[in-house]
Amino acid sequence: MVDQLPNLGREAEMLASMGLSSMDDLFSDIPEEVRRTTPLDLPPPQTEEEIWRDANRLLGANIPVNSRPSFIGGGLYANHVPAMVPMMATRGEFLTSYTPYQPEVSQGMLQAMWEFQTMVSELVGLPVSNVSMYDASTAAAEAITTAVRVLNRKAKQKDIVYISELVPEHRFSVIQNYTQGGGIILKKIPHDNDGHLDLEALKQAAGSCAVYVEQPNAFGIADEGIPIIKSIIGENTALIVGVNTVSLGLMEAPGNYDADIVVGEGQPFGIGPTAGGPIYGIFACKENFIRQMPGRIVGLSHDSDGERAFTLTLSTREQHIRRHKATSNICSNETLIALMGAMHMALLGPAGLEKLAIRNAAAAIRTKNELKEIEGISLAHPNSSHFNEFVIQLPSSAKSLCEYLDQRGISPGIPIQVLFPDLDSNQILISCTDQTTESDVTLLVAGIGAWAKEVTK
Amino acid sequence: MSNIFEFKGNEDAGYSQPSPMVDSQQVKSAIPKTLLREKRAKWPTASEPELVRHYTWLSRRNFGIDTGFYPLGSCTMKHNPRINERIVQLSGMNDIHPLAPENHLQGLMAIFYEMQEMLAHCAGMDSVTLQPVAGAQGEFTAIRCIQEYHRMIGEEQRDKVIVPDSAHGTNPASAAMCGYSIIEIPSGEDGRLDLDALRAVVGDDTAAMMVTNPSTLGVFEPDIAEAASIVHDAGGQMYYDGANFNAILGRTNPGLMGFDAVHYNLHKTFSQPHGGGGPGSGPIGVKEHLAKFLPSPIVSRQPSEENEIGVGDGWWYHWETPENSIGKVQQWHGNAGAVVRSWAFYRRYGRELTTMSEHAVLNANYLRHKIMNPPPDILEKIHAMPLDGCPADVVKHEFTLSMTPLVEAVGVNGKDVAKRLLDYGYMAPTLYFPMIVPECLMIEPTETESKEELDRFADNFHAVLCEDPEILTNAPHNTDVKRVDEVWAARNLILRHTD
Repeated sequence: MVDQLPNLGREAEMLASMGLSSMDDLFSDIPEEVRRTTPLDLPPPQTEEEIWRDANRLLGANIPVNSRPSFIGGGLYANHVPAMVPMMATRGEFLTSYTPYQPEVSQGMLQAMWEFQTMVSELVGLPVSNVSMYDASTAAAEAITTAVRVLNRKAKQKDIVYISELVPEHRFSVIQNYTQGGGIILKKIPHDNDGHLDLEALKQAAGSCAVYVEQPNAFGIADEGIPIIKSIIGENTALIVGVNTVSLGLMEAPGNYDADIVVGEGQPFGIGPTAGGPIYGIFACKENFIRQMPGRIVGLSHDSDGERAFTLTLSTREQHIRRHKATSNICSNETLIALMGAMHMALLGPAGLEKLAIRNAAAAIRTKNELKEIEGISLAHPNSSHFNEFVIQLPSSAKSLCEYLDQRGISPGIPIQVLFPDLDSNQILISCTDQTTESDVTLLVAGIGAWAKEVTK
Repeated sequence: MSNIFEFKGNEDAGYSQPSPMVDSQQVKSAIPKTLLREKRAKWPTASEPELVRHYTWLSRRNFGIDTGFYPLGSCTMKHNPRINERIVQLSGMNDIHPLAPENHLQGLMAIFYEMQEMLAHCAGMDSVTLQPVAGAQGEFTAIRCIQEYHRMIGEEQRDKVIVPDSAHGTNPASAAMCGYSIIEIPSGEDGRLDLDALRAVVGDDTAAMMVTNPSTLGVFEPDIAEAASIVHDAGGQMYYDGANFNAILGRTNPGLMGFDAVHYNLHKTFSQPHGGGGPGSGPIGVKEHLAKFLPSPIVSRQPSEENEIGVGDGWWYHWETPENSIGKVQQWHGNAGAVVRSWAFYRRYGRELTTMSEHAVLNANYLRHKIMNPPPDILEKIHAMPLDGCPADVVKHEFTLSMTPLVEAVGVNGKDVAKRLLDYGYMAPTLYFPMIVPECLMIEPTETESKEELDRFADNFHAVLCEDPEILTNAPHNTDVKRVDEVWAARNLILRHTD
């Protein structure tokens, strides 16, 4: 018996008040030829306790990354999320509200998102932020279409965008899907053997609409070339930087080296990796992109008494007003997760952010230094510096290493072929977080050492 | 404290963290100097006690379903069962990584599989992907699949998508993002699909038609099957916008109506909380001929082998990428947490999803009847009764009212009524949509409101229609802030805090 319907058992009374006699009367407008003639072939309803039991059994069969030494990252990271965050964000007034179209009764979420915009703006060093995109990939894709809308008219290379070849396959696929309809042509920028952007090749990008790069890149490399890109491509080509958001506690905000748009995965602030969703993408830009940017934006205003009040603004860019001429089709976004992010960011504060970034990088340094001493193991990019992840070269396939260590309760990382199918099957990306412990490192090093011995003997 | 940046604590006032594994200076020296951050981000400097109070204060200045009746048409603001929130906070959901190997994710994949099967069955489709993370992204994904289908069969000259003028704005926006030009056809005088208008625009350049049914007016399209054959005869595909799916489960389905592709709004029909604007989830279902274009991942299964324990149901689950997949529209596995909440919701109803839809429709018709038939003594005092947005004996899960008579009688418009309802402790109905109804209020009560709540709302709605016009044009009066100056906000664009 279903327990969520207050009017169950009172149907006859309600129908009678309308002069109707059965539920069928309410569906008499559905033409017979399209009516369903058989009941839904689904199981009977369950009670809350049965659902809870099944959920525990099913989700309990998953292996969470925090239940063992795990070095799986690649864009999503399991940082500690303070207990306050889920508790406050799931207060019913936030959780069960819709998009704040009625500002008079939505000041709470509007203000929280305006504060979120400020924190993102501070994080990346750009003046404008929206209230979230679906994830980093859609944020990157819509940053590219935004840049083309703003700059195509002046561009010498019309419709052309240059994109780092080190954007992982899945993210690149999203970008392709979002850009093909607008006739945007994506050209790849190569890298050298150290995993650094080829700045000589980048010169071709001058005069195009935009350049999209990531810092650190998918190999975890912090590339010294990124801050000088803008001086190569010039004012009329947008520099779009995809960031690891946590790295910005330690590394320079791209806005401070003249990036035009910054995007990234907000996830490490606010929520666990949660199988990849719901998470949120950040999107921030310079002022000249405001009227072409996607997504919701909150602005400060006042009410009819002159009191401070917040409201959604610049809605004339959006689909519900502009329809097919809108800057994006985005409607539902990831506000609640962005709220979790804002709470986490606020708790961290300026010094906490820096410390979090340092802890991530410190764990990677320790892990890297110990791994490279193992016989048969080397760093794939020994001359490069890294933030919280790096690639190592193995004596045999990364897949076989993962299987070997999985049986011993360790997740060593992501085989590089998962991110780039054409790359070396003997490479693996190893990622650290603030949750990486010294004993995790010890176990990983011992495990990889034992495996290497076995496969090389 | 009126703003989170006004707390005056230390820069590390929030929460303390363990020491880094390697000394800070050593970490900094490992990063090239030119890449080091010069100035810290000016984030808040507040402690947990202060922040808990700040966010509690903000929450009290926000209206949710938990606060009161939320008749926001087209958004299906139904109760969000709390067990669903507990479930997604389990470590087996919150802390799993999408790039972990398949044997780490068998529980999630079993849930995905069950949801794919259930959604396909309910909509009369053959294949489902759970990848799209919002309704609009579902639309975009399905139109992309249709685009690739036409390219594959050599009909890429089909460059137009047809939408009725009553469609959600996302429909034309999503199709335009795929590169299509949009043909908007006018609705008939009765607000329904106009088949002659459709016949006049279909042709060998028609890629697809996007339809919401029940329509955005809350009425079932009687000629939907005929519309589908007109489009199919011209070689186009039929796309079903699932925004109003809550009205029809178990009574009909898009497959029976002749659709080739459909998106589901898990945040409407299946109670994923709206969260102030998201997250949503917008899976799509398609007929067989479009299945091979779906974005990965899709879960398939086969009988488990001896060493494969999995979830203990005798199956082993795999991620699959269809043969001619369009690729990805979100980088990971979609909004898995929303899918799991929706799974918990579905389990609560099972085959009684039909009853859920019946009650959504019952409540909408009951409230419409109540509002349109005030007691005689009240009717006498009402300045002017609203008009039906479109004529119909019965509506489905929502209905529209035109406030034009009120404008003409006393100069009070739909927005004034909406704002005044806020004073009575309600969320305002959807305002000025669909655009084909002048001075439109769109009301959707959902199945989780009691008869008494609907009675009270109708009484209060009537009370508003009797009030001194000046009270309405200046409304709201009792809210946290009064009417907000949206024009000023757009002119001045103060989009962040500055010291």
